[in-house]
Amino acid sequence: MRLIEWKTMKRIYLDHAATTPVDPEVIEAMLPFFRETFGNPSSIHSFGQQARSAVEGAREMVASFMGAKPAEIVFTSGGTESNNFAIKGIAWANRKKGNHIITSAIEHHAVMEPCRFLEREGFEVTFLSVDSRGLVDPCDVEKAITDRTILVSIMHANNEIGTLQPIAEIGKIARECGVCFHTDAVQTFGHVPFTVDELNVDLLSLSAHKLYGPKGVGVLYVRKGTRMEPHMHGGEQEGKRRASTHNVPGIVGLSKAVELAGKTMPGEEARIAGLRDKLIRGIFDRVDDVRLNGHPERRLANNVNVSITYCEGEAMLLSLDLMGIACSTGSACSSTSVEPSHVLRAIGLSVEETRGSLRFSLGRHTEDHEIDRLLDVLPGIVRRLRAMSPAYRSMTAGRGAGG
Amino acid sequence: MKDKVVIAISGGVDSSVAALLLKEQGHEVVGITMCLGVAAEVGGHTKCCGPREIEDARRVCQILEIPHYTMDFSGDLEEHIVRTFIEEYARGRTPNPCVACNRHIKFGTLLDKVTAMGFDFIATGHYAKMERKEGRSALARSREARKDQTYFLHAIKREALDRIRFPLADLTKEEVRQIARANRLPVSDKQESQDICFIPEEGYGAFLRSRSIDVKPGQFVDREGNVLGIHRGYALYTTGQRARLGGWSGEPLYVLAIDAKKNRVVVGGKADLLAPGLAAERVNLLVDDLPARCVAKIRYAHRGAACRVDFDGDLLRVVFDEPQDAITPGQYVVLYDDGFVLGGGVIREALT
Repeated sequence: MRLIEWKTMKRIYLDHAATTPVDPEVIEAMLPFFRETFGNPSSIHSFGQQARSAVEGAREMVASFMGAKPAEIVFTSGGTESNNFAIKGIAWANRKKGNHIITSAIEHHAVMEPCRFLEREGFEVTFLSVDSRGLVDPCDVEKAITDRTILVSIMHANNEIGTLQPIAEIGKIARECGVCFHTDAVQTFGHVPFTVDELNVDLLSLSAHKLYGPKGVGVLYVRKGTRMEPHMHGGEQEGKRRASTHNVPGIVGLSKAVELAGKTMPGEEARIAGLRDKLIRGIFDRVDDVRLNGHPERRLANNVNVSITYCEGEAMLLSLDLMGIACSTGSACSSTSVEPSHVLRAIGLSVEETRGSLRFSLGRHTEDHEIDRLLDVLPGIVRRLRAMSPAYRSMTAGRGAGG
Repeated sequence: MKDKVVIAISGGVDSSVAALLLKEQGHEVVGITMCLGVAAEVGGHTKCCGPREIEDARRVCQILEIPHYTMDFSGDLEEHIVRTFIEEYARGRTPNPCVACNRHIKFGTLLDKVTAMGFDFIATGHYAKMERKEGRSALARSREARKDQTYFLHAIKREALDRIRFPLADLTKEEVRQIARANRLPVSDKQESQDICFIPEEGYGAFLRSRSIDVKPGQFVDREGNVLGIHRGYALYTTGQRARLGGWSGEPLYVLAIDAKKNRVVVGGKADLLAPGLAAERVNLLVDDLPARCVAKIRYAHRGAACRVDFDGDLLRVVFDEPQDAITPGQYVVLYDDGFVLGGGVIREALT
């Protein structure tokens, strides 16, 4: 381990679920909208008209990509805002109709926290449990729906363990019951092909920076006829649904990123899935006492989440980072909490197993030799960290005695 | 020789300057902040290891251009420190969790982890010195006697000493602040934390109650058992402390002993605090053999007293040349010889 090169070393980035690098073509597409075409799309003059044209072009691109109508696309500041808008917007608009919301125990914080906020406002929220692979049972959704239910919100794919939910089935149930259905598709949009009609959704959140676009821009798809209470009040942008001057470069960047995803998606996802399977196999071949978190088949093409027992995720992450390999763990100590991942707890992992969790999320630029490099260094890191774990020593000693 | 060193960086001025010095010496330095799961203060000022401190530590590392990570030690804090702390209080003793933290966490679990990660040394911002004596690492007092923190470090396992560095060994607190200012570290004027990091600001009483220690009024008694007044709860008193009794007009009274079982605090005159020596248990030695005579400190602020020492089985007996006052069960006795730390132990009782 040499740290001297820490600032400049060639690095391997395996945290694409957190964010992705902006594609150079996306940057190129955005640049004119900082310089020449800097107008405010709400302005009447030619500067404004050019900018407006770009925003509407982007709206058409994003809409057609998901089989929606342009008027159903609301640009937002990103995934968190889209989720907040979807949940609070539906809840507030349907207060008279009911006060019950159904979601799952493994949603992203951007869904969990708006729901908890609404609980404090007097709404009732059902957090559905998931099975050991992270799946929501559509029957549970059906059972949970009452005549007071106004919204079901289940994520398309989980950001930590990669499990893909049976969204189309859940959407069908929600529709039959006349309940609005939202899905957080931040991890799948541009990675997994779908249309909003196939998924039977009324609302869908996405974010540009998870598909090689810029940070600070996203979309909430809102099916025509869905009543929403705005959560940002001001000008009349976005059909009076979301006030705020358009983030024109961001919206153009999102559009370009979507266009690129459309070109690369099929081949790229298969290639990444191949690398994912190689990584999973490689870890299981080289390290004992490992568990794969999430679903063995129904999972994102780029997601590997493992629990390595008797080995702390933090220490593994730190060791890997010092060797230039970036990943994440479900037990990171942030500056405000040391809570283990609610997702890993919800699929039944012990606190010990959540502590030993590592997530590798692959991307468009991940190469075979990078996976080889990771598989080269990980076993040694695990061996050294386990050697200092009293629990691991006594466990292996016990095994020896038992033959 | 360039080494790979982890600096345990708290966000305070001392560890920040220690990080800077290591970097200037050319070592490969990585900053790690221990996250002890201490709840953020609402409103009031932050405590060690709170979110604000972690942000400060991160900022210093960014300025120094060294990697920075936080690691969760909340489980270790609970297991090795807080549980013992509560048990000791339940026995009517006054524990010193910082000594245990240095032994079990900083220079225990954290040191083991960074060693497993391939680092050569761990460094901290303690005022103490690591020297070589007869081919072995030896813990010695820092240059500035007033700031010396070896009292808190004496319980480190001897085999760990070889992997520890104290970059502030020869500096005074003022010099450390000057270095911080000269290098524009944003923590140069920060106040020192004197409190125990896991005790919330609501105070000892609230914390102990939350951990099922019964803090309720009881009797002040004299040595003969005569009731002299009412106290607020035995756990809020420590041996040697002035005891203020409502309506008492006699000579000033001091806490002589604490009887947790009966929730009684025994008080007496200042002269009654004096004892000729003490017995200590759970002794940790940093040398092969103890000399017959040395200097003992019985609390951090104690100046040190000349004494004779010997072992009675596992029990260390310390007999002072002059009687000492306020020998407090649960606190540590630390032995010194010529500026070197010989070791120490937990005070079990004063000798009579």
